[in-house]
Amino acid sequence: MSRRKVGLREHVEAVATGLKYLVKPNRITVYYPEETIGLGERYRGMIHYDWDKCISCSLCAMICPADAMKMYKKKGEKKARPGINYQRCIFCGYCVDICPTNALSFTNVHDVAYESLEEMVYPPERFVEEWVSPAEKEGAKRLKVVFDEERGLVHVPE
Amino acid sequence: MVGEILEIVFSPQFFGPVVFPGLVTVLLVLLTIIWVERKIAARVQMRVGPLYVLKPLGGAIQMLADGLRFFFQEFIIPETVDKLPFVAAPVVAMTFAILPFAFIPVAPDFIPYSVPYSMPVFLGLNTVIPLTIIAMAWGSNNKFSIQGGIREAYMTIAYEAALFTAALAMAITYGTLDFAEMVEAQGVPGILVNPLSAAVFFVAMLMSAGKLPFDIVEGEQEIVAGPFTEYSGIAFGLTMGIGYVQLYGFTLAFTLMYLSGWEPLIPFLHDIYPALGGVMLFAKAYLLMVFIVFLRSVYGRYRLDQALRLGWRRLFPLSLLSVFFAVVLRVIGVV
Repeated sequence: MSRRKVGLREHVEAVATGLKYLVKPNRITVYYPEETIGLGERYRGMIHYDWDKCISCSLCAMICPADAMKMYKKKGEKKARPGINYQRCIFCGYCVDICPTNALSFTNVHDVAYESLEEMVYPPERFVEEWVSPAEKEGAKRLKVVFDEERGLVHVPE
Repeated sequence: MVGEILEIVFSPQFFGPVVFPGLVTVLLVLLTIIWVERKIAARVQMRVGPLYVLKPLGGAIQMLADGLRFFFQEFIIPETVDKLPFVAAPVVAMTFAILPFAFIPVAPDFIPYSVPYSMPVFLGLNTVIPLTIIAMAWGSNNKFSIQGGIREAYMTIAYEAALFTAALAMAITYGTLDFAEMVEAQGVPGILVNPLSAAVFFVAMLMSAGKLPFDIVEGEQEIVAGPFTEYSGIAFGLTMGIGYVQLYGFTLAFTLMYLSGWEPLIPFLHDIYPALGGVMLFAKAYLLMVFIVFLRSVYGRYRLDQALRLGWRRLFPLSLLSVFFAVVLRVIGVV
């Protein structure tokens, strides 16, 4: 292996490159709770559950590779219904694919940011609620990703 | 009574080591320079860095929050450690990192402990710190700690000879071993008189303080935190602080030796209270520190053998050359 000679010139070049970015930073950070990246309509994000379409076949709980999906059964009720645990979900979409009645579907919300672990568990009663991005509910700006010749990926307001 | 107390507080012997440039200033430097380091590294690496602790100022009190957390965390002493060195070593290390400030003059007539050999005393006290770090490593009884301790031992021999020889060159140039007299002898900043010595001292100083690209001892990605692996709580805070305190001391020494110290003296501030004359000294040292922490975002870490090779094959001969250069300057009578 040939070794590249590193002399004074290389050191000066390295420091100069660092200084260039220090003076003119090229940041790619999205300030999340204030800004979010808008996701496409067919994004595989949080899963929505349709209470009426579900036939309680429990295929979703069986196929789930991460054990995130679980059937909940209340006392006195015959039907068990699925609930999801986002601590475990890997967003593979097997449950959505296998559902025979399309009771499960993807949404384009993907804010897996919670204040406590308990909040990440969705029993059927919460699972059925419509998904709204918590950041957008609080008025976050939606950004989109575009290609830039010089800077690569950049985020601009939608 | 109050007058007497004030007299003691404002005497150089107390004010120097405890307030400026000593303990209180060290604390302020620690709180700010680590934030500056993280912000600069973030800017260069396309990130934002600490932000949400006091957002209007860009997370400026992040370190205060971290420090408080260290302070109230439990200090765990594992059963397998050798308790005395484990507990005592960080405290001793911090003491020896603070002690050199008693020998740093901040203004022409504000010298805490006036000795004719303040430069060798300053450098000598700093060489005790590696011993305490090795004590930490040995006392921790942990494989990562031992590796870190051995790296520290190797690093010490890599930089110490070059550091002292480079400093010797400046002592020959100015004909004195005292910081205050060195500053007075500098018509032209020392960095222009003997740039070779300045370069060697700068690199050896980085190695000594363990700043990137020479944070080989800690080696986060390789050996957890080196000698500091087993520490938690406030002792971990102390061990993290040692490098920065050393860096601050060394930048002050560098400023005194190569950047003409407190000159140009601001007479107006100096007349109010002599220590305020050290504002220029502090500003230069702080800027130098900012540059050094900026290097974190430019360089990768050197390997241990590369650092040793740099120390013995490059820095040491260069430092000898700088001594020769200083002798030549002295003989032909330029300085």
